[in-house]
Amino acid sequence: METKPAEGKSSLIKRQWWLALLIVVAVLAPFFTSEFYLAILGEALIMSLLALSFNLLFGYMGQLSFGQAAFYGVSGYTVAMLITKAHFNFWLSLVAGVFVASLLGLVIGFFCVRLRGIYFSILTLAFGQLIYFVIYKWHDFTGGDDGIQGVFPPEILQSPIHYYFFILVVFVFAALILWRIVNSPFGYTLKSMRENSERTEFLGINISRYQLIAFVIAAAYGGLAGVLWAPFYRSMAPSSLFWIKSGEPVMAAILGGPSLFFGPIFGMFIMTFFHAWVLGFTVFWAFIMGVLILTVIFLLPGGMLGFAEEKLKERRENRNNVADRRSQIAD
Amino acid sequence: MSFDVLFNQFMSGIARGALLFLVASGLSLTFGVLRVLNFAHGSLYMLGAFLTYSIWKYLLIPVVGFYIATILASLIMGGVGLLIEFFLLRRLYSRGWPEQLLATYAIILIITDIVKWGWGGEFLSIPRPKPFTGAVSLFGFPFPSYNFFVILLGLGLVVFLWWLVYKTRLGDIIRAAANDREMVSALGIPIPWLFTWIFVLGALIAGLSGAVAAPFGAIRLGMDVEIIIECFAVVVIGGMGSLPGTLLGSLIVGEVYSFGIMFKPELALAFIFIVMAIVLIIRPWGIFGRPER
Repeated sequence: METKPAEGKSSLIKRQWWLALLIVVAVLAPFFTSEFYLAILGEALIMSLLALSFNLLFGYMGQLSFGQAAFYGVSGYTVAMLITKAHFNFWLSLVAGVFVASLLGLVIGFFCVRLRGIYFSILTLAFGQLIYFVIYKWHDFTGGDDGIQGVFPPEILQSPIHYYFFILVVFVFAALILWRIVNSPFGYTLKSMRENSERTEFLGINISRYQLIAFVIAAAYGGLAGVLWAPFYRSMAPSSLFWIKSGEPVMAAILGGPSLFFGPIFGMFIMTFFHAWVLGFTVFWAFIMGVLILTVIFLLPGGMLGFAEEKLKERRENRNNVADRRSQIAD
Repeated sequence: MSFDVLFNQFMSGIARGALLFLVASGLSLTFGVLRVLNFAHGSLYMLGAFLTYSIWKYLLIPVVGFYIATILASLIMGGVGLLIEFFLLRRLYSRGWPEQLLATYAIILIITDIVKWGWGGEFLSIPRPKPFTGAVSLFGFPFPSYNFFVILLGLGLVVFLWWLVYKTRLGDIIRAAANDREMVSALGIPIPWLFTWIFVLGALIAGLSGAVAAPFGAIRLGMDVEIIIECFAVVVIGGMGSLPGTLLGSLIVGEVYSFGIMFKPELALAFIFIVMAIVLIIRPWGIFGRPER
């Protein structure tokens, strides 16, 4: 059922017209869907930024962060507090949110890039939980358990459709920039560190510095998701920094396929819509999600998009082989 | 600050450390041999606590009811561990660790909903079993005698695991497999079954610790996540897969928490993460661990 759109999407990396088509669909969506599904679509776009943030580290650099929600949450809180408490300019608050997340990424990254593999995951998890507890317990400053309510965007973005288009524009530009980054020499350096960090080091590349830069960029993207979320949801709660939230981009990337740029986005869309759909008939969403993850891990190694691309490649190779043999026979 | 206050705080730290050791030793054992960090270990612990409650309530035997429930719940959790290893994890050893991690994460989600479905979202509790209902006076402070039971059980588990790992033939195999899996397999020892039984033992210990934790506080959803994060701190500080490391890590985390609460209650958990981050930065493989491959 899912394979068809997946095949289409995986080839869009080569054939740009799919991308254009998807953008057209995204632009027209508000005129055909209900307000409920428009909200889900907006949520999926915002969370896709978090998934991209995670996958820059995981898919490209080869490090699994279990603390991306920290950047998302801290930037969201920054915006929420600047708007509700300091009555700061909306647009400047967004910039400040991303800036604070990047700064936090610089501090946390400074420690984390020294570690590899599972130790990197656990340290990011520990920092994430540390920040969660600080925000959760610091009641006077952050509102603690109650969170922060009443984070309203300016007049022009108050209608759901307007805010949706705002999200869409930011998302498309952010994804485009990240696409450029991962296909730049910098992106290729990250990939080579993932494949063989020893050799990369022999080439004279300072691995820690590159990883730190990637970590800060990822933090900025997590932050971007956070600043879009707070005015979208009109509030922030400490649960947005909890490790379960950090688990969402991990699931999205592995569901969609971490080896592809669009894999985590695809995974996050599946997850968000699946969530909305499942909640319609049962509260046991976590159970179904768990079964879905296990199914994908066992049956579709490489994620849904990754698996589809693998199959496409096989078929293409088979066709080429057949063609080769035919030409040989003809000779 | 007077000595007796500090001593009392120190003893609560030891009790907390003992409970942490009960949970973390299973996690550490599994990681040491299977090289799989079982995120779902806390969920097995939670399920153990809920099972203990139900069995205890069903039996309603006055004195020994809790102990019987504890043993039964541990055995059932061992069985659950068998199912998880045999049907899920076993098929993932050839994959990368991120997929193994995510699979155990999926098990967390599944067990959370099973508990929600089976027991509802309410807080349940079991009274402390006899003869550990009262309190002992330590330098004039009341100290729950149940804490001594937990400390004793923790000590018992230390001795048992030490005996198992360092004094038996199975222990030799466990240590050898942790070192060089292929060589052990080449010597004709069936590694898959070793892995299964180690995972079962880990799950059994998780169930036991959940049962022991049940009379401590409320049995509730979310107790899994709370304990597993602290257990990560324990195994990271002590060194993943190392038995003495887990013991030391448990005591450090227990004491840091206990004195942290006295110093600034809101930040008690934050102190644990700070200690953990310091250890990870100075010695990423932990105090007693060995560098990864």
